[in-house]
Amino acid sequence: MTRRTAPTFDAIVVGSGMSGGWAAKELTRLGLRTLVLEAGRSLSWEADAREHVRPFEMPFRGLGDRRAVEARQAVQKGSVSFDEISQRYWTDDIDNPYSTPADRKFDWFRARQMGGKSVIWGRQVYRMSDLDFEANLRDGIAVDWPIRYADIAPWYDRVERFIGVSGQAEGLAHLPDGAFLPPMALNCVEQHVRDGIAARYGRERVMTIGRVAVLTAPHQGRAPCHYCGPCQRGCVTRSYFSSVNSTLPAAQATGRMTLRPFSVVRALEFDATRKRISGVHVIDAQTGAEHTFSARIVFLCASSIESARLLLNSATPQFANGLANSSDQVGRNIMDHIKWGGASGEVDGFNDRRVIGERPNGIYVPRFRNVTSRHPDFLRGYGFQGGAGRGGWDSATRAPGLGAEFKARLTQLGPWNMSFAGFGEMLPRETNRATVHPSLKDKWGVPSLHIEAQWSENELAIHRDMGVTASELLDAAGARNIRAHTHGPSTPGNANHEMGTSRMGRDPKTSVLNGHNQAWDVPNLFITDGACMTSSGCQNPSLTYMALTARACAYAVGELKRRNL
Amino acid sequence: MQRRELLQWMIAAGGLTAVNRLGPKDLLAIGRDGHRAASVDGRQLYALDSHAALTVTVAAEHIIPATATPGATQANVTAFIDTMLSGWYPAADQARFLAGVHDLDARSNTRSGKPFVQCAPADQLALLEVLDAEVTTLRQTQSALANDHWFAMLKYLTVWGYCTSEIGMRETLHTHPMPMRYDGNAKVEA
Repeated sequence: MTRRTAPTFDAIVVGSGMSGGWAAKELTRLGLRTLVLEAGRSLSWEADAREHVRPFEMPFRGLGDRRAVEARQAVQKGSVSFDEISQRYWTDDIDNPYSTPADRKFDWFRARQMGGKSVIWGRQVYRMSDLDFEANLRDGIAVDWPIRYADIAPWYDRVERFIGVSGQAEGLAHLPDGAFLPPMALNCVEQHVRDGIAARYGRERVMTIGRVAVLTAPHQGRAPCHYCGPCQRGCVTRSYFSSVNSTLPAAQATGRMTLRPFSVVRALEFDATRKRISGVHVIDAQTGAEHTFSARIVFLCASSIESARLLLNSATPQFANGLANSSDQVGRNIMDHIKWGGASGEVDGFNDRRVIGERPNGIYVPRFRNVTSRHPDFLRGYGFQGGAGRGGWDSATRAPGLGAEFKARLTQLGPWNMSFAGFGEMLPRETNRATVHPSLKDKWGVPSLHIEAQWSENELAIHRDMGVTASELLDAAGARNIRAHTHGPSTPGNANHEMGTSRMGRDPKTSVLNGHNQAWDVPNLFITDGACMTSSGCQNPSLTYMALTARACAYAVGELKRRNL
Repeated sequence: MQRRELLQWMIAAGGLTAVNRLGPKDLLAIGRDGHRAASVDGRQLYALDSHAALTVTVAAEHIIPATATPGATQANVTAFIDTMLSGWYPAADQARFLAGVHDLDARSNTRSGKPFVQCAPADQLALLEVLDAEVTTLRQTQSALANDHWFAMLKYLTVWGYCTSEIGMRETLHTHPMPMRYDGNAKVEA
């Protein structure tokens, strides 16, 4: 039984995470009565923050409820920020199934609660540049981005000023500086490594402190970071950016937002006469009751693959292979970033020095391959993240010895270890694709996806190069015992940067969205999560999603005022 | 399984609302209370019987003894080890650990005609040093197997349990959970 509610909203936003929070904030600010549909529960740090729970207050002392996790979260546990406490912020894999070929796994990390994955993200924020926006055109890969850096730059400014980004300006054209709060400090060994790299490579290879959406000064009513460490467990001082901490409260303050939790969006309803979305079908996750909401415009911000799933599950006679899919590009071109290449080494000379506090940030080495010269083995490039630190008692768990002497070892700090871990660009390919599974459904009866994605030789060549150049950086810093990482590439999806499933472009025949994130086929539909990405860059992508969302909101409201929608 | 059955019973008895308010720690405690087992320091044990618990306690204290600061016993490492054996490790790991505890007594009986816990401390230490050397040899020759050795498990759990205990963090490690700052160039205190 479907209940149709009166059309009391101007806009509907599907998803309350990174991009949904921005859509809610911008649309309400621009005067639109906005309904935000969130599939999961609501969240408030007053009730939900767990970042200061001490190890002895956890049943498994931080090692996680292994049996429960293996039974219900076998995929989600692979995320780097999944732990005994933060596990509650990932979905249940049994309730939310999907399939892959047996020999081609794909890690589909999902979060269903108010804030979505912005609650548990890595908080690294980097601008893309024209090196990225022109890349497909230059290389003859896929389709050209319909925008250039100049189109998005003011929106990067706007987003950074609101969310608060700490970082160091470096003056690099291909990693543009932003509106930064004071940078976090490099520790003494990282400074040493940075200087060693600068001495050998000048401005070709640069190491800087990570640009991170964590406050280093009071900002927009939020407190600076107090360096307790586990951001992914929540933050009662709202020091890191999440939509829960920042954009959703701003939207709420306008009085024009209605946030509806437990709202699983099943499908979109298409009015073929008006060529508009006429309704959003919702299943109440708690009661199973169906509701239909309507509004003048709809923003899909459900996360890249979920948004594609929704379109594919909304086929009509006119769009037999999925709504807004006359290009047949919906669900295709899945991209992530390739990881697990890099190196680590030990740095001498600082044994009387240590770190106090848990800095929720590391170092960054901006891309240096294929910037000014052409690499013979691959297109595009990669950046390094990492940092320096000293091991503590944890390195004694597998060490020999017993008694008082062994116990004394628990309080001794190990050698300084510096590591670099690469994040490499993935090229878009139509064959990396999500399709509706013929039979598999989720807990609410919504058809699930079958996902096929794999690295190409270009990504694998990037991965191999990471270990070579990371070793060179360590050598430049005088490190010893340099070890290139020997494990193979990450599982696609594992970087939690999935994108590309409804790409922007210049031609309705080959892309799903125009240069304003508006669906070519359905003018009142906008998709502003990672699905819109035409190429992946190698930068952590959330900042770009947020900037594109804010930009699309301004355009959509303008179109409403011009009576074009 | 017992925990689930107990929960089902509570739900059937109308306690669902109460159960929903409980955290995982509480649920674990309920599960353990519902199960007849040994106890240590008043805490119910789930995987270890009273003799195995005493053996583990004595061995763990040899690994991390009380010195000027508390040892493994004061940190109640045995309760943590029991939690891990009963609620975290697969059954095969739990069985191998318990067989190892049994084997320690067999070795002790061969050596001095007494179970491990009744031996003189020097004899106990000698037995544990043999086991530690076995693990070290495994790490050098068949490193993939080393962590599966029951004594490697005991040592890992003892160190982890001690270093995440309130008393161990406060008295021995001097952990500051809320430094309120980041200093990447602090002096190491002597």
